Amino acid sequence: MGVILEVKNLTKKFGGLTAVNDVNFEVHRGEMLGLIGPNGAGKTTLFHLISGFEKPNNGSVFFDGIDITGMKPFKIVNHGMARTFQLVRSFRYLSLLDNIAVACLSPRGKEAFGKEGIDEAASSILSSVGLVDKARLPPVILPHGDLRKLEIGKALGTNPEMLLLDEPFSGLVHEEKEGIARLIKRLNSEGVTVFVTGHVLRELMTLVPRVIAMHQGRLIAEGPPQEVANNKVVLEAYLGRGEAFARA
Amino acid sequence: MMNFEFDLQSYTSRFKAWAQTFRGGITLVCLAGLMLFPLTGNEYLTQVLVTAMILAIFAASWDLLAGFAGQVSFGHAAFFGISGYFTAAMVKFAGMHWLVSVFVGAGWAVVFSLLIGIPCLRLKGPYLALGTLAFSLILWNLFLTGTWLGGTEGISGLPSTGSIFVAFYIIAAFMIGSLVLMRAIVDSRLGTILKSIRDDETCADASGIDTTVYKLIAFMISGFFAGISGALFVLDTTAVNPAVYQTLYSFYGIIMAAIGGMATIYGAIIGAFLFVILSELLRPLAAAALLIFATLLILIVRFAEEGVMNPFLDRVHDLWDMIRRR
Repeated sequence: MGVILEVKNLTKKFGGLTAVNDVNFEVHRGEMLGLIGPNGAGKTTLFHLISGFEKPNNGSVFFDGIDITGMKPFKIVNHGMARTFQLVRSFRYLSLLDNIAVACLSPRGKEAFGKEGIDEAASSILSSVGLVDKARLPPVILPHGDLRKLEIGKALGTNPEMLLLDEPFSGLVHEEKEGIARLIKRLNSEGVTVFVTGHVLRELMTLVPRVIAMHQGRLIAEGPPQEVANNKVVLEAYLGRGEAFARA
Repeated sequence: MMNFEFDLQSYTSRFKAWAQTFRGGITLVCLAGLMLFPLTGNEYLTQVLVTAMILAIFAASWDLLAGFAGQVSFGHAAFFGISGYFTAAMVKFAGMHWLVSVFVGAGWAVVFSLLIGIPCLRLKGPYLALGTLAFSLILWNLFLTGTWLGGTEGISGLPSTGSIFVAFYIIAAFMIGSLVLMRAIVDSRLGTILKSIRDDETCADASGIDTTVYKLIAFMISGFFAGISGALFVLDTTAVNPAVYQTLYSFYGIIMAAIGGMATIYGAIIGAFLFVILSELLRPLAAAALLIFATLLILIVRFAEEGVMNPFLDRVHDLWDMIRRR
């Protein structure tokens, strides 16, 4: 398995605050990697830097061997890396089918599905995320769990090699979380590399074989979920020093 | 990259299906009524309708840009005016046929839409509106203070068709053609992408769409149709002067689109006809006319947020159903 994503010395500062501080890691092709950290750790900023929505102050990002540092988001998507957002985004006045069709109309989507196959591809993606029976509805009337599925569907419309999922379990009830987890596992088994964040380690424990942990902009641990969960530095980051030692 | 393709066959079959619906039927009946109006022989009212039809194209072009692509322009009069000036100059000084000059004028409006669109693309919301407004004010002042193309006097004495009734049918053809084309564009794949940018530009970007290119395309298409209306306006009035760049014209377009219903294209016809006819009816009231007009506008915006076309057609539909049940 070769490296698909390589992050080198990535740093982002907002005024006096260093949101991402000299971060280095790799994601292997076909892998499912988790990123954990308490609120404010810098996970979403890291995602923004990788996907082009923020420009780093220092460091570089390589995707599939190409330097994508500071590249515009739509270009990164057309290189094969799609993402979802922590706060769900959708085209609220378009039908679910058209929401997916927009992504299929991207240059990469058109290359994969052909100009004539857009509707068919969008319908098939809606079916794969379990929303085909709501194809003609607008997203505004969907429950939160369905919106999360729609976001993943939109990302799939660009025919990605790698998916960046920003807190896909956020705001979901247990059954919805299980549904999303099954969907992510299936996509990974179909060959899509997945990089997923979560601020609750439990949600990622059974999903990913490897986790990296962030705190105050820095990577503080890396390894199998169980090992990272028992790491003292990670426990301190989540619970505070006193609590962590009491638990240890 | 771009998605201009239309499926003509599917569009024709959709048109047939639409014509058999209540809305399609009532639209065709209204259009037939409009086409028969010149037979009354009333030159004054025919001229009023000609103005309304020209402004309907202008309002619809603004609706395409703002209602479908989410790019609110307060300087749409720039496209209207630049096309008007080029059309007048081509007809007057180069002896160009009026029909060719309409498209040459609209072509220049497309060039200017690029000149305005490119620097304004980084602007969003009210800043974009103010940026476009600034451009139209610059053009107004340039043509007002400059000595080229007639200065404050502009260009006058353009040849006319000689008959308002002939002009009526020519402009009606332009209006129907322009609005059907604009509706086809917003219903195409290109329209879906423009609507996605309107709904959430960041999300469109994350879906692999080059939003910059598509916003420019929206500016160009909108500029082209605004240019068509500007050219027709100048040919109809047989003169042009710097007043065509006035902000007032930009706001006329916005008001007409809002009255008819935003993001509808066809609502622009209702908006333009109501606006022009109301203006004519209130004209004898002089200063009081503005007060009444403003009050009516506030009432429309307050009680028909989505414009008057859709709620009006819904009411007529309900009435029709009630009559049929009896």
